[in-house]
Amino acid sequence: MVFTSLHFVAFFIVVYAVYRVVPHRAQNWLLVVASYYFYAAWDWRFLSLLIGSTLVDFAVAKAIEREEAHHRRRRLLWVSLAFNFGMLGFFKYFNFFADSLRELFAVVGWRLDPVTLHVILPIGISFYTFMTVSYVVDVYRRETPASQSLLDFAVFVAYFPHLVAGPILRASLLLPQISQPRRIHLAQIGEGLWLIGWGVFQKMFVADNLARLVDAVYGGGGGHTGGDVLVATWAFAFQIYGDFAGYSNMARGMSKLMGIELNVNFRYPYFVTSPQEFWRHWHISLSTWLRDYLYIPLGGNRGTSFATKRNLFLTMVLGGLWHGAAWTFVLWGMYQGLVLAVARTIQEFGIPVRRTWQRVVLVVIMFHVTCYGWLIFRAQSAGQIVDFTRRLATDLTFTSTTLYSLLQPLALIVAPLLLVHAYQARHDDDGAVVRLPIVTRYAVYGAVFWLVLIFGNFEGAEFIYFQF
Amino acid sequence: MNGRLARVWTLFAIVAVQFVGLEAGLRWWGGSEASPAFQQLFMQDPAVGHRLRPGASARYTTPEFSAFISIAPEGVRADGPIGPKPAGETRIVILGDSLVLSVQVDMADWFGTHLERALNAEAPPGRTVRVINAGVQGYGPVDEWLFYKHVVEPLEPDLVLVMVFVGNDAVEAHDKADWIEADGPPQSSATEQAATAMRRIVRASMVLQNVRLRWDMLKASLEGPGTERPLTSYLANPPQDVTEGLAVTRRAVGLIADRAAARGAGAALVLMPARFQTDDADYGRLRDIVAAAGGTLVRDAATERFAQTLSPMGLPILDLLPSLRAEPDRSELFFQRNVHLTTRGHRVVGGALAPFVESLLESSGARRD
Repeated sequence: MVFTSLHFVAFFIVVYAVYRVVPHRAQNWLLVVASYYFYAAWDWRFLSLLIGSTLVDFAVAKAIEREEAHHRRRRLLWVSLAFNFGMLGFFKYFNFFADSLRELFAVVGWRLDPVTLHVILPIGISFYTFMTVSYVVDVYRRETPASQSLLDFAVFVAYFPHLVAGPILRASLLLPQISQPRRIHLAQIGEGLWLIGWGVFQKMFVADNLARLVDAVYGGGGGHTGGDVLVATWAFAFQIYGDFAGYSNMARGMSKLMGIELNVNFRYPYFVTSPQEFWRHWHISLSTWLRDYLYIPLGGNRGTSFATKRNLFLTMVLGGLWHGAAWTFVLWGMYQGLVLAVARTIQEFGIPVRRTWQRVVLVVIMFHVTCYGWLIFRAQSAGQIVDFTRRLATDLTFTSTTLYSLLQPLALIVAPLLLVHAYQARHDDDGAVVRLPIVTRYAVYGAVFWLVLIFGNFEGAEFIYFQF
Repeated sequence: MNGRLARVWTLFAIVAVQFVGLEAGLRWWGGSEASPAFQQLFMQDPAVGHRLRPGASARYTTPEFSAFISIAPEGVRADGPIGPKPAGETRIVILGDSLVLSVQVDMADWFGTHLERALNAEAPPGRTVRVINAGVQGYGPVDEWLFYKHVVEPLEPDLVLVMVFVGNDAVEAHDKADWIEADGPPQSSATEQAATAMRRIVRASMVLQNVRLRWDMLKASLEGPGTERPLTSYLANPPQDVTEGLAVTRRAVGLIADRAAARGAGAALVLMPARFQTDDADYGRLRDIVAAAGGTLVRDAATERFAQTLSPMGLPILDLLPSLRAEPDRSELFFQRNVHLTTRGHRVVGGALAPFVESLLESSGARRD
C-alpha cells in the first residue's frame, strides 16, 4: 500500500475522518490500529516483529529507568541492542552473509551448503529498529524519560506515515506529541496539503518518469557511451531524491494534517558545497542517527586527525550496509567515508570560499562527487561499476540518443523541481512556497497539479527506500 | 467568507489560464495521437463510422519514431493520388487496422511497399503490381467490411488481403455485430448522442484527452485486477464476447470475400500476432498480470482460434507468427512504447508476404500477360 495508491488514499480518508471526530486517547488507539493495518497490508506475518519490538523495548526502557545500578542498566541496554540488531541482522543480512561465505569458500574449493532460509526482508525494519534503538539508548543516557504508556509507545513505533521509509524519528520529538492532546491549526492543514502535493509531484512526476531513463542505461544491455552513463547517473541522482524526499514530504504532510510535526528529512541536497554539508541536507534523520549513536560513541572528532577520519569511514561503511545487504552498498559507504575523509583533509588547509562563482563551481563539483556515489549505489554489480567508470573515463561522447532520449527529458523533468528548490535555498526556508504571495503561490499549486495530472507516471512504482 | 470566495476564484482563474497555456504547449509540441495534427487525419462518415480524411497530411513524431502520413483523395493512405487502374497493373489492397495503416513509419518502409518491390522484381515485362494501404486506426472486421464496400471497392482491386489482428479483432467484431445488419453505424439514442458530443469536446483538447486517460486508469484501478479486454482472446477459457466475435469476424470476412469475388477479385487472410507472442519479456509481464487477475494466458490461443474459425471458409491464410518468431532479437520487431511494427518488423512481414502473394497471383492468373 504505497502512499500514491488508491488503496492508501481510501485508507487515509477513512482514518482521517474518524481521527478528526474522536478524543485524544481514541485518536491514539485509532493510530495504532490503522498503523498495524497499514503494515499488515504489506505482509501480515511480519506484524509480530513490529509488535515484539514494541513490547521488548517498552519493557526494557522502563526497567532501565527504574534501575539505579550502572552495570544492570548496561546489561539491560545490551539485551535491547541484541534483540533489535539480532532481528535486523537476521532478517536483513542473513542471506547476504550466507551467500558471501559460500562464495568465499568456493574460491578455495570448499563446497559449503549453508541453510539459506531465503529470509524475506520485512519492510521498514531498518527504520523502526533504528527508532527503538535510539529510544532505549536515550533512556539509558537519561536524555529521555521512558514512556509510561504502552499505547503511546506503540504509536511512536508504528505510526504509519513514517513506518516503512522514515524519517527515523527521535522519542524526544514524537512521544510528547503523541502523549499530549493535539490541536490542528488551519495553517498546518495548508502546509500539510502542500507537502502532500509536492511529495506526489516529486514521486510521480520526477522520480517515476526519470526511472525510465535510468533503467534504459542501468537495466542491462550494452552499447552505451560514457555520455549516456553520465546523463543516466544525473537522472538517478534526481530519481532517488524525488523518490525518497517525495515519500518524506508526504509523510510530513499527512502528519501535519493530524497535528503532528515530523523532522525535515531533505533540504535541497544538491545545492551544497561539501560532503559534510551534503549529509546535513540528505536523509537528515539517518545521518544524525549515525552521528549520535555511532560516530560519537566511536570517538567522533575527539582524537587525532587520523582517528576522526577512521571514525568517519567506519560510520559511513555501516551506513552503507544499512541501505541493503549487497556489496555495492558497502562500496558506496566506503566511497562516502573516503570522500568525507578527503574533504576533511582539504578543509584542514583552510581555503576560503567567498565569491558566488566559487560557490557555484563547488556545487557543480560536489554534485558530480555525489553522482559517482550514486553510480556505485545504483549499479547492479561490481562489474557494472568498473564498466561504467571505464566508459566515463574513455568514451565521454554525447550521441543524438544521449541528447534527445536522455538529456532533453531529464532537463524538462528536473527544471520545475530545481526552480522551486532554488527559491527555497535562496531563502533558506523549506516552507518558502507556502509563504509566497497568493497569486504566485496558487500558480505554483496549479502548475504542480497539471504536471502530475498530465505528465505524471501513474503506473504505481514502489518507493526505492522501501527496500532498505 | 468574501475573502475565501475571492481566493477560490483566484485559484480557478489561475488553473484556467494554465489550462490554456498547457493546451497551447501540447499542441505545439505534438508527439501524441491526441494532437490536433494527428486527429485531423480522421473524419466522421455516416456510412462507415470514421475513416481517413481525403487530402489530409501530417508529420507524426514521438520519441520513438517520426513519419509522414498523407491521405490520398481516394481516402486511403498513399503519398499521392491513386487514380484509375492503368492497363497492365495488378492491384492488391490490404484491409486492416492500425497495424496496416502503420503511422509509425513512412510509406517507403511500410510492409506493403516491401511486398510491392518484391513482386515487381519478379513481374513479367509490361506488368506491374501496386499494393494499396487500406488500413484505418481503430478498425475491426465489421468496419473493414463497410470500408471495403464504400471506399475500397472503387479502387478495383484484383486481390483483397484482410489482415486480421488476432489480439483484438474478435472483441471489436463482437461490439459492432449489429452494424452488419444496419449496413453502417446504427441510429444512436439521445444518451449516446450526448456521449458522442462529450467525446468530441474531449477529443478537441489535448489536455482533456490526457485527463480522460487518467480517468480510465482510475476506473481500471477501482475495478481491481482484471484482464485487459484484448487479452481475453488468449485466455484458456475465453468469455462469450470472444467466441461470438470470432463468428462475427467470419461473417464480415465472408462478405468481403463474396463481394470481391463478384467483381472478379480474389481474397486471402493474413493473421497478425500481438507483440507479446514474439517478445518473451512482454509475454512474461502479461502472463503475470493475467495470472494476478485469476486467468491463464495461453500465448498463441488467439491465433489458433482465428485459424480454426476462418479455415473452413476455404480462403488462403498466411499466419505471420512463424516468420516473426524465427527472427533473432525478436524484441526489436515491435516498438516498446506502442504495439506496432518497427521498420525492421515491416521488412520481416513484407518478406513473409511476398511468396504467399506471389503464389496467389500465379494461381489466379494475374501474373500472366
